[in-house]
Amino acid sequence: MISLAGRDILHTWGKFVFTGIGLGLLIGVTLVMAGVYRGMVDDGKALLNNSGADLWVVQKDTLGPYAESSSINDDVYRAVRAMPGVAQAANVTYLTMQVRKADGGREQDVRAMVVGIAPGQPGLTPGWPPYLVAGRQITRGHYEAVADIASGFKLGERIGIRRGHYTVVGLTRRTVSSSGDPMIFIPLKDAQEAQFLKDNDAIWQSRRRTEANPVFNRPGVPGLLDAVIASQSTNAFVNAVLVTLKPGHAPEEVAESIRRWKRLTVYTRAQMEGILIGKLIATSAKQIGMFLVILGVVSAAIVAFIIYTLTMDKIREIAVLKLIGTRNLTIASMIMQQALALGVIGFVVGKITATFAAPLFPKYVLLMPLDSVVGFFAVLAICVLASLVAIRMALKVDPAEAIGG
Amino acid sequence: MSRFPLRGRTLALIAAIVPLLILFIYVGLRSGPLAPVAVTVTSVTSEAVSPALFGIGTVEARHTHKIGPIFAGRIQRLDVQVGDQVKAGQVLGEMDPVDLEDRGRSLEAAVRRAEAVLREAEARHAFASTQAQRYDELYASHSVSEELRGTKRQELQIAAAARAVAQAEVVRVRSDREGLGVQQGSLRLVAPVDGLVVAREADPGTTVVAGQAVVEIIDPSSLWMNVRFDQISAAGLRRDLPAQIVLSSRSGQPLKGHVLRVEPKADAVTEETLAKVVFDTQPESLPPLGELAEVTVNLPALPAAPTVANAALRRLGEQTGVWKLVDGDLQFVPVKLGASDLNGRVQVREGVAVGDQVVTYSEKTLTAKSRIKVVDHIAGAPR
Amino acid sequence: MRGKGIRLEGLRKRYGEGDTAVDALKGVDMEVAPGEVVGLIGPSGSGKSTLLKCLGAVIDPTAGRMMLGDEVIYDNGWKVRDLRALRRDKIGFVFQAPYLIPFLDVTDNVALLRMLAGVKNQEARQQALDLLTALDVQHRASAMPSQLSGGEQQRVAIARGLVNRPPVILADEPTAPLDSERAMSVIRILNEMAQKYETAIIVVTHDEKIIPTFKRIYHIRDGVTHEEVGMGRAP
Repeated sequence: MISLAGRDILHTWGKFVFTGIGLGLLIGVTLVMAGVYRGMVDDGKALLNNSGADLWVVQKDTLGPYAESSSINDDVYRAVRAMPGVAQAANVTYLTMQVRKADGGREQDVRAMVVGIAPGQPGLTPGWPPYLVAGRQITRGHYEAVADIASGFKLGERIGIRRGHYTVVGLTRRTVSSSGDPMIFIPLKDAQEAQFLKDNDAIWQSRRRTEANPVFNRPGVPGLLDAVIASQSTNAFVNAVLVTLKPGHAPEEVAESIRRWKRLTVYTRAQMEGILIGKLIATSAKQIGMFLVILGVVSAAIVAFIIYTLTMDKIREIAVLKLIGTRNLTIASMIMQQALALGVIGFVVGKITATFAAPLFPKYVLLMPLDSVVGFFAVLAICVLASLVAIRMALKVDPAEAIGG
Repeated sequence: MSRFPLRGRTLALIAAIVPLLILFIYVGLRSGPLAPVAVTVTSVTSEAVSPALFGIGTVEARHTHKIGPIFAGRIQRLDVQVGDQVKAGQVLGEMDPVDLEDRGRSLEAAVRRAEAVLREAEARHAFASTQAQRYDELYASHSVSEELRGTKRQELQIAAAARAVAQAEVVRVRSDREGLGVQQGSLRLVAPVDGLVVAREADPGTTVVAGQAVVEIIDPSSLWMNVRFDQISAAGLRRDLPAQIVLSSRSGQPLKGHVLRVEPKADAVTEETLAKVVFDTQPESLPPLGELAEVTVNLPALPAAPTVANAALRRLGEQTGVWKLVDGDLQFVPVKLGASDLNGRVQVREGVAVGDQVVTYSEKTLTAKSRIKVVDHIAGAPR
Repeated sequence: MRGKGIRLEGLRKRYGEGDTAVDALKGVDMEVAPGEVVGLIGPSGSGKSTLLKCLGAVIDPTAGRMMLGDEVIYDNGWKVRDLRALRRDKIGFVFQAPYLIPFLDVTDNVALLRMLAGVKNQEARQQALDLLTALDVQHRASAMPSQLSGGEQQRVAIARGLVNRPPVILADEPTAPLDSERAMSVIRILNEMAQKYETAIIVVTHDEKIIPTFKRIYHIRDGVTHEEVGMGRAP
């Protein structure tokens, strides 16, 4: 038995391939949308992975440090370090801000997340970038930075963060915040200054205000004004303490003991994932989900329309086939095979398009093999369903029509 | 059979589909999560590292002399401006004496009055003494009564006491007068040493309290840098180590210096060790006090040992180590680290040997199961 | 009556029910022997199409008897379970227009029926080719239907009708679109094939050109048939 579907496709291959390509582009868009969602989730996971922490200690009752702002004293980490089960505890600050090239003007601003990492050692202290693609890690305690290549900065470039100038000594990749902003790592003290100290003008204004205040500017107490101004210019806060655990200790246990004894809020890795994915990207996820449904419906409609048209074009021949003794099943399977072939062509075109289009998107698009497999079967299912309309039409045809009246 | 016309068209279609399928498979395997991770690999070399410590310092004067009055008062005049050179003993200014002069004159008058009272007391005493003597003689010649002699004797005692009172009064008033003189002396602000005036905190006419500094003087030849080092990276800091000082305003010209002393008290709040670093030779134009500088202290070079780039250090679980390339497979090797220098070279005491291939840069975090491909440099990272 | 051929007795067909019922066939008797080519002539509305559809087992008659060879296929109800297989194996169709499948080549158009009957592709194609040779169109064996002339297409259609060696062939106005030369050619071929393969052929027609060639003619009017001896002129 020859393949009727195959012969028909060969005969009208132009229409087929054309439709297949159109369908393929639609499927490609669908795969990319799914990839955008996966990319967002991956951004969140990359953020958690790259911090190298097992636990996050933040201000009480906040969702910080990524989902909400959190502020704790910078000596809290010493107490956390002494808790049982804790291998390392290090301060960290996060601030999303505009970073400029030191020689350029304001036009060269890059939106980045500036991360303040505690002095220590690569590979040991949590918060340090876990791998580099060029250069080296920070060795000096001030004015050096490691930047993600997505920021566009190059090795040896001088960049400006608030009032300080930093030399880029190393580059990383895929170290991004949960909204996809590239990260720039600088020493903690510099970051604390950047986070809480303003520019020169604002500092000068605040000094003047303090001097004008008679409570602080007492003639009878000579050193008071200087002490007050000095205290206003220091910053003893960080956003979180990153904790790594000794092997053999369960994260939730250690987290619970820190919560109880130090009255702080502590999140384990699983909880942070839940916060990032549940709170930060929930709305975007819903939007993307709706888009996927719409695209699926549109794809189904296109396939149904094309297959219906192809079938209707052959309705006379189908009547003849039925009359001369072709089984209904043979005819139905011919139509369904055509629909499936269309789906396969569409999927192949779509997957190739998606792969080449993905790097062009501004945010990270992650195409997972599982999504492609699921997408493939979804496309096949849609094609089967879409062909049912045409099959019904074909089977309803009365073979007697072939015999003229 | 009769398939030839079809074969032509079929062949054409196959020619179109096969490359498409190949592209499809390529895309599936080489991109996305299934793709191999690009890494760069370097050999471990034996290097001598010169560790160095890096800190930020501020320019300060060793001694700052803050000159001010010891009593509350008004400033009458100041003779110096910021930037003036002064000598030890030079009068810098004077406080307003207010009523001190009047009080001085009053005390002068009191002294003279006391002296006059003393003279009067002495005159009386002399007379009483003469009288007592005379009556003693008269009593001896039975000219006067016992009572009369006794009365004269008593008068003598009274006069002596009055004289003592007047003497003491003179001493008291003189001491008051001297005390006021010292006070008047302290109205003058005097430079204690040779030096440079760096601040004039208040202008004439201002009322200042006791102890408030009016003029600050430093010795310009005694500048030093107060440098802060992170405690974690301050191992090996001691006196006499050589240092490079790069002032904020002269970033291209490092100056030579050395560590004068390491402060016994560190800063517990900021977790920094403090040290004082001095210039080897005084710079010609003095940097302003408070200017920031980057100070690099060079520690003695260490003998050669296997060295890796600090970019190669990775963490797996809770160990620090490197990824070694053994027969094309990745292997995580925990290491014990030695000294490191400021260029990112770290000596390894245990774990790798010279000639081992270790992964330096990678596109992603590596695991033992990662498929890798070795490249010259990671795409996207500029050379 | 010899063993093969087709025979109808008292065939009736009623459309609709009650007052609106129409009797298209009111008791048709018909008999065609193997190797015979008979004509079926009647005006429109005479029940001609209905009779053809009953003969072709595409509609259900209301009453009567149909026999194909020795087999009773209908006796007031279908006696055959699989009508489609009946059409495939026992009845050949030749239509007014060739109705060739446009996306199959000539050989496959003919061979399809054999394949549907379960014959392997290679053998089916060979048998198709034999028939095409008999009909003198073998030189077009690999062409697509659109590349053939009308006459060639019609011959391929006849080959298709014959390929399963059915005992009866129903031809519905096979010469209507053709000129007299081609029409004669078709009738000639039908006669040859009927003789060669011992097939009974019923030709429904009103083409004046070919009517004289029939030896026997059935006239149908108002749902009943009358047999008539035809002129039997050689085509």
